[in-house]
Amino acid sequence: MKDEKVKVKRPLVRKLLLWIGLPLLLVYIVVILFTYFWSGDNALKQMKEYLFELTSHHASMLDGKFLKVSRASIGIADAIEEFSIPTKNELYSLMKKKLSENSDIYGMAIAFNPFAYNNNIKLFSPYVYRTDKDIADIDLAKSYDYTLQDWFMIPKLLGTSYWGEPYYDEGGGDIFMATYSQPMYKNGKFFGISTADISLDDLELEMSNIRIMAGHTFIITRTGTFIYHSIKEYIMNESIFSLAEEDDQPELREIGKKMIAGEQGITTFRDVNTGEKSWLVYSPIPDCHWSFAAVIPDKEIMKTVNSMVIRQIAIMVIGLLIILLVILWAAIGITNPIKKLLGFANRISKGDLDEKITGIRGHDEIHELVKAFNKMTYDLKHYISDLTAATKAKESVESELRIARQIQESLLPRIFPPFPDTEEFDLYARNIPAKEVAGDFFDFFMLDDDHIAIIIADVSGKGISAGLFMAVTRTLMKTVCVQGVPPAEAMEKANIVLCQDNDACMFTTLFLAIYNIKTGHMHWTNAGHDEPIIISEDGSYRMLKTFKDIALGINEFHKYHEGEAQLEIGEKMVLYTDGVLEATSPENELYGEERFIKILRENAGKSLVEIIDIVTEDLDGFQKDNQFDDITILLLKREK
Amino acid sequence: MVQWFPQAQFAGYIVAHEKGFYDEAGIDATILFSDGTDSPLQEVLDKRIEFCTGWLSQTIKIRSENKPIINICQILQKSSLMLVAKKESGIETAKDFEDKIVSNWGGDFSIQPIAFFQKQNIQPEVIPQSFRIDGFLVGAIDVTLAMYYNEYHKILQAGIDEDELVTFFFTDYDLNFPEDGIYCRDETLQNDPEMCKNFIDATIKGWAYAFQNKEETLDIVMKYCREYHMQTNRSHQRWMLGAIETAVTYQVGDDPKNWGTLKENDYYTVAKELLNQKLITIIPAYKDFYKDVAHER
Repeated sequence: MKDEKVKVKRPLVRKLLLWIGLPLLLVYIVVILFTYFWSGDNALKQMKEYLFELTSHHASMLDGKFLKVSRASIGIADAIEEFSIPTKNELYSLMKKKLSENSDIYGMAIAFNPFAYNNNIKLFSPYVYRTDKDIADIDLAKSYDYTLQDWFMIPKLLGTSYWGEPYYDEGGGDIFMATYSQPMYKNGKFFGISTADISLDDLELEMSNIRIMAGHTFIITRTGTFIYHSIKEYIMNESIFSLAEEDDQPELREIGKKMIAGEQGITTFRDVNTGEKSWLVYSPIPDCHWSFAAVIPDKEIMKTVNSMVIRQIAIMVIGLLIILLVILWAAIGITNPIKKLLGFANRISKGDLDEKITGIRGHDEIHELVKAFNKMTYDLKHYISDLTAATKAKESVESELRIARQIQESLLPRIFPPFPDTEEFDLYARNIPAKEVAGDFFDFFMLDDDHIAIIIADVSGKGISAGLFMAVTRTLMKTVCVQGVPPAEAMEKANIVLCQDNDACMFTTLFLAIYNIKTGHMHWTNAGHDEPIIISEDGSYRMLKTFKDIALGINEFHKYHEGEAQLEIGEKMVLYTDGVLEATSPENELYGEERFIKILRENAGKSLVEIIDIVTEDLDGFQKDNQFDDITILLLKREK
Repeated sequence: MVQWFPQAQFAGYIVAHEKGFYDEAGIDATILFSDGTDSPLQEVLDKRIEFCTGWLSQTIKIRSENKPIINICQILQKSSLMLVAKKESGIETAKDFEDKIVSNWGGDFSIQPIAFFQKQNIQPEVIPQSFRIDGFLVGAIDVTLAMYYNEYHKILQAGIDEDELVTFFFTDYDLNFPEDGIYCRDETLQNDPEMCKNFIDATIKGWAYAFQNKEETLDIVMKYCREYHMQTNRSHQRWMLGAIETAVTYQVGDDPKNWGTLKENDYYTVAKELLNQKLITIIPAYKDFYKDVAHER
């Protein structure tokens, strides 16, 4: 059976997503925004530290290189200062040995102060340097007056070692080089300079292998001059200060001043070449007082930083999606069984009780609900089947009762007026049973041309048994009366029969009158029944006082009394059962004899049918569908 | 021929050549640059070239030796030579030079410093100076000789600010020795005065153009610098061009019509100092030494 799609205005899934997912989403957005700004800063800080470290590392690697070169020169200076002056050959071989040991050194020289090496020789400066093939040597004194060279003069004046500004060495190595100069002293007097050169070509090669992100690197000397830069034109031509001037960027000049002062730092500036905002990370190379720097475009750094942040945010977003999916899954997990239950309940409402809910697992409240549902349908099914059986049984009883009632009705006189040709009297009766089968009955039949027997009775109890007892009583009374005996004797005879085999202990009150239609005289006997009322047309009335005889079916030896009465022309005798006087309103008031008599007197002049109609109408209005007992009224009127 | 490698000091000649002003004047000119080892004046005297530039102090000496060299136009009116010291070396006035190391290129460059020291009555230790300023920058030299348009700016471009320096311009001490002038042999002027006049006019036109179109001029100068493998940069040449402009227009103003005159008192200031330092024995007559070709009718 296909479930009908149930349309729910606000599905639970949406509610759960709204109540849990939405607040979660808001919290996440706040967290993500916070992360974006906070971790952006953090990532930037990390990035700075990383660049700082990296630049320091490269600077100290370079420093190590320069140190090796300067140490070699110091080694030779120490040797000359310590020991006796070597011969020319010894000097050359000493320097060549050093050169072959240290591939970073391009050339080495010893430049003696005038006449220091030899009293006869003014200038002498042995120089060894690399060529394509091997190591060559010359005497620099033969090329120029080296005493005017910065590499000689400056350390001599300073009295300390000195890494010179790179220069093009004409007459020496004929390359761009930078020279380390170590002054030598003998006996406290300046003796000369020991030098070691590095080739800028070698440095360039070394530098071209250094990669710092997507940026470029450069080295400036202590005067700010570029000796390595990715833009070759800058090398030896531009200084960081000339760029600052050309680009009108005083900040860059300040950065340059910090760099040549041997400081370490990281800062942003506008790249002169690209015009882009860039990062400048610098670190000193202490041995030569140079500065190594890396320039990284801001967008490259931000790209990395952003990708770090984006990665972080992506993880959070994925986390959020997973949580939302879990909520969705949980919500579906909760609502699916409920939906099933809903469909099931709908089917139940249409009467399908054969299904059992299956496929809902777990031990939660929903499972309990399912169990309850299943139990409910089971119980309902059984209840309905019981009810069906009961209804069937009831229906059959009811139909039997209907039949019994029909039989009973057929027992009572039904045609009014019963004796249309008779002018002496009028008679009218009505029985309103409380249940299908009434316990009240009335009867009348002619005993001969002048006498009519009139009976009204009320059987104890109601329903079928009362009906049956009534039928028996009625038949018995008729049989006895037809024998022509007086009323009291007839009553006694009937009583004896009714008392015999009366296991059910049923009894009946009964009033019997044998009335002479010609004279209006009657003989009557009363077995525990309500006292009849005789009412004249002017509204005056009298009761037929009983002899307090007991009801029929109780004591078979009871002797019933007989009374006589005379009905004058126009007078009516009213027989009734206790259903009239004991009629009860919804407010639990009794109808009572007073009200009954009052209504009878008020309507005394009316016809019998009219009187009965008025009385039953009044009773209906009083009881309001609240009839507990059978109601029977019989009226007899003497017309002549 | 000019006294040194290409730089903005010679922008007027280079621009006049590049912009075709010499060609317009009907002169087939070639610019030669000295490398410092050859002397442009000697080249002129030896008739290998017709015109050269030279310092007034230098040419007065040569003229006093009766060599037929004549000034036909004095381009620079103001001396750019100066002494520079760092404030951190404790120098505030010239008196503080005592016991300090002062460097000096020597030759014609030393005339003004010597005169200055005499005037100040000081005797500092003077050592030879290379063409680089490294010794001064690292503090090996306390006071250095510098050209305002060149070395002084190089010091600035090495990260030393102007307010960290103490400067001594010789012009401020009555030692204004006008520098670059244009020279030729007497016979060149006698034989072809019109050509000389055209040459001077074209040169002044070149200078005027250079000062009016500085960035274009710098393009041209930098092209020359790169060709000659000069270790220089554009901002330095810009500074130089500006400083040279000041020297050209010094006391004569911006109008090129007034440029190129050698003022008699400037001439005698230099000559007298040369005599004083016994670098010459006789002062050549002003009218023999100088011919105002630019303003001749």
